[in-house]
Amino acid sequence: MAHNFRTDLWVDWCPGCGDFGILAALQQTMAELNKKPEDFAIFSGIGCSAKTPHYINAPGMHTLHGRVIPFATGVKLANPNLTVIADGGDGDLLSIGAGHFVAAGRRNVDMTIIIHNNGVYGLTKGQASPTMPRGEKTKGLQRPNILDSLNPVALALSVGYTFVARAFSFDVKNTKDIIMKAVKHRGTSVIDLLQPCPTYNDINTKEWYEERIYYLDKDPTWDPVVKDATSEASEEKFIQAIKKSLEWGDKIPLGVLYQNDLVPSFGDRISEHLLNYFEVPPSSSPILNEEGNPVARMETIFTDRLIRR
Amino acid sequence: MPLVDIDLIIGGPQGGGIDSAAQIVIRAFSIAGYEAYGIREYYSNIKGRHSYFHVRIKETPVRSLRYPVDLLVCLDYESPFVHMDDVSEKTKVLYDEDLINTKLDQVLTMEPETKKHVMDKLKADGFDTTLAGAINYMKKKGATPYPVSFRSLVVGALGPNKPPARYANTLGASLAMALMGLPAEFTSRGIESVFGKKKEVVEDNEKIIKTGYDFVKSHNNVNIKELPVRPAKDKYILTGNEAVGIGKVIGGLKLQTYYPITPAADESFFLEGHDYFETSMGDEIDKENEVLKNTGVVVVQAEDEISAIAMAISGAMTGTRTATGTSGPGFSLMAEAIGYAGINEVPVVVTLYQRGGPSTGLPTRNSQADLMFAINAGHGEFPKIVYSSGDVPEAIYDSVRVFNYAEKFQVPVIHILDKNLANSFFLVDKMDYSKIKIERWKLAEDGENIERFKFTDDGVSPMGLFGKNIIWLTGDEHSELGHITEDPETRDAMMVKRMTKLQTILNEIPKEEQVEFIGNPTADVTLLSWGSNKGVILSVFERLKSEGISANLVYVKLMNPFPTKLVTKYLSGAKVLIDLENNYTAQLATLVKQNCGIDVQNFILKYNGRHTTDDEVYEGIKRVLEKKEKKVVMIRGA
Repeated sequence: MAHNFRTDLWVDWCPGCGDFGILAALQQTMAELNKKPEDFAIFSGIGCSAKTPHYINAPGMHTLHGRVIPFATGVKLANPNLTVIADGGDGDLLSIGAGHFVAAGRRNVDMTIIIHNNGVYGLTKGQASPTMPRGEKTKGLQRPNILDSLNPVALALSVGYTFVARAFSFDVKNTKDIIMKAVKHRGTSVIDLLQPCPTYNDINTKEWYEERIYYLDKDPTWDPVVKDATSEASEEKFIQAIKKSLEWGDKIPLGVLYQNDLVPSFGDRISEHLLNYFEVPPSSSPILNEEGNPVARMETIFTDRLIRR
Repeated sequence: MPLVDIDLIIGGPQGGGIDSAAQIVIRAFSIAGYEAYGIREYYSNIKGRHSYFHVRIKETPVRSLRYPVDLLVCLDYESPFVHMDDVSEKTKVLYDEDLINTKLDQVLTMEPETKKHVMDKLKADGFDTTLAGAINYMKKKGATPYPVSFRSLVVGALGPNKPPARYANTLGASLAMALMGLPAEFTSRGIESVFGKKKEVVEDNEKIIKTGYDFVKSHNNVNIKELPVRPAKDKYILTGNEAVGIGKVIGGLKLQTYYPITPAADESFFLEGHDYFETSMGDEIDKENEVLKNTGVVVVQAEDEISAIAMAISGAMTGTRTATGTSGPGFSLMAEAIGYAGINEVPVVVTLYQRGGPSTGLPTRNSQADLMFAINAGHGEFPKIVYSSGDVPEAIYDSVRVFNYAEKFQVPVIHILDKNLANSFFLVDKMDYSKIKIERWKLAEDGENIERFKFTDDGVSPMGLFGKNIIWLTGDEHSELGHITEDPETRDAMMVKRMTKLQTILNEIPKEEQVEFIGNPTADVTLLSWGSNKGVILSVFERLKSEGISANLVYVKLMNPFPTKLVTKYLSGAKVLIDLENNYTAQLATLVKQNCGIDVQNFILKYNGRHTTDDEVYEGIKRVLEKKEKKVVMIRGA
């Protein structure tokens, strides 16, 4: 029987929460990938979205506010054979964890980052997140938001993410398709996952989104994939994606905005000097012999510190 | 009495090859069969400010330094001023005679505060405030100056086309070695050992060495006895940073994360240069498994210390031995994640090199002021091990131990060291690997939904790993399965489970790994100390012994959980008890009071950031014993 990726915990999100759709899409993706559950590692930060790993019957780590990316990165570096997915909130990834979000683009570790983007900090009662536009007053706020919003897609593109997409949580099927593509991409993939917060965001509701979203892949001429390794080729797709990222308001594009499979992943870069990194990753590299003594020897490693008589 | 016991200081501008000069001295003497030990002192600066190396050479193992020095080699115009109090009637002072007219005001690299202190001293004794004045000041103390024109010697040796400044360090080292009486052959081999055998380099250096030795010989007022060559064996020259790196690699380190910070970064930088190597299993490995012949360490420069600790924590949950290294400011950033490792019982190692705080403090200077912080880092209550090392051999073996502790007890371990150790050079023998055991966790069965946090009598659950088991981790309080729970009974049980480990740790770590008691139990005086002061204290004990004063040392290594019974036992017989540390508040003594209820009354403390030396520890002990002073503050060092 196929593994059931659901746990038997009661899912404690508010009725109508966008997280349900993301969870379902994740579980479907994992089931369709036909891997053992132990081959996955699911990470989250702090907040409503951070409970996601507990609801998935696969190895999971619910980490610290803002730190989901470095925690996910550590597991992937130590065991590159695992499929790593990191779920973070918009505040988690783009405010307290923004430094890590930027660094992850530069590293290109082979993993998927999902931004649960609902414009608010739900679990602390609805403060504005970095994606809420200035001047908006959702019902949790005392007065209209006085900070400008940032553009997660443009930010991701500018710091080097090699796969950038956007999805809407109430379209579970499309969300699953996007997650699947993101997971299969070799490098860091990021998904700006739009979701309503039915409790605190009374502006960007399910209906508000449904009136505005459209699918890029319905247009047969849309092609986000960089085809060759020249800088011209990637620049063309990059500019096209940046332009699309600015489209917001009456029309909101969904789908893969940029994809470049030609940039070596962080693991590939490591394997250039640790030649057997993928065959014998850190997590399975022997460190002791049968007698319990170490197998690394100072004499063969640190010869430059030896003073020969 | 040993025939040879030489302290020397080589001072010069940061970036002027002072490190190489010291390496040459230590390696040359080691090849000639001598023991050596040294510490590097430097500013937070890339080029120009004053740095110096303090080295001691003996026939027997060296573990401390002392003032006044026997030889002061001044490669810049600042050294004669800042080291003018480091000399006595036995000191030879080598300086650049071309700089003799330099006014103190012209020494741009010197900080105004230091300048004022030097100025006041020179004026008070009626000397000119020039380099000549500083030389005369030292002369009055009985030192013998050796004026040398570095420029004309280099030009004489290599012609006018080589920049004299570049050869000041090898020339300075050669002159120093000639003055100490080391046969030139060893200086030559010392230089080769540092710079390699590149033809042009070797040729130039040979000329420099010859020039240096000839110059010393030509001074008929110098009476130098050639040092005997001693039987020697191959040795490693290692700093504390390197010792930790080597210990970690031997201990099975596979993932090291870090963010650049002084004085911790040298360890990771060193590891990056030694990250792929052949294992000892070489010959036993058959063709099929040839891929196992080599192994490596993934060294990752993270975007900050929070990321570094987070990567190390999660990496450890794959069964990989992971570690990170940092200093005060970076460790402050890691505090939250250390609590995460605590509640999730993650075996991660954090190497903490203490430097002067608070805030940026004295970024390149020594301190032992982070002991309390290391013990208390992270909010809430959770078990962690804080383990201290005090010298290079300890740092190697302890770096293996701390991995064993981390995995056996499934707790984060803070391996605490200090800048003195990080930046000191030791000569060490080859290792005996049969003495080093690697002990790991008790693993859970492979497969699904294991109880990662299963309740057990000793608090340690079978380890579940990413890649092997379905497990959940959360920073929230959790069930045995690892899911969030706020159930009060489970909370109580989980607190008890985790905190029980503190006793388990004390029960299972061998006593001699917790505290070392060195000396006669009925001694006249008992020192309580930790970290890099161990060597200095033991050296001073030898001197006290020659005066008929016996002393013993309670040297604490396991700082948390605190070995209360053991320390109480060792301290309770003390006739006079003195706490010696490099901080203001006597943090180890505070721990002793808190845990053992023993109120230490006498203190020898140092917090100016400079290395502790024999003379000041000796003086401190005498002041406590004879003048009944309760607190002595050590103030030596430029």
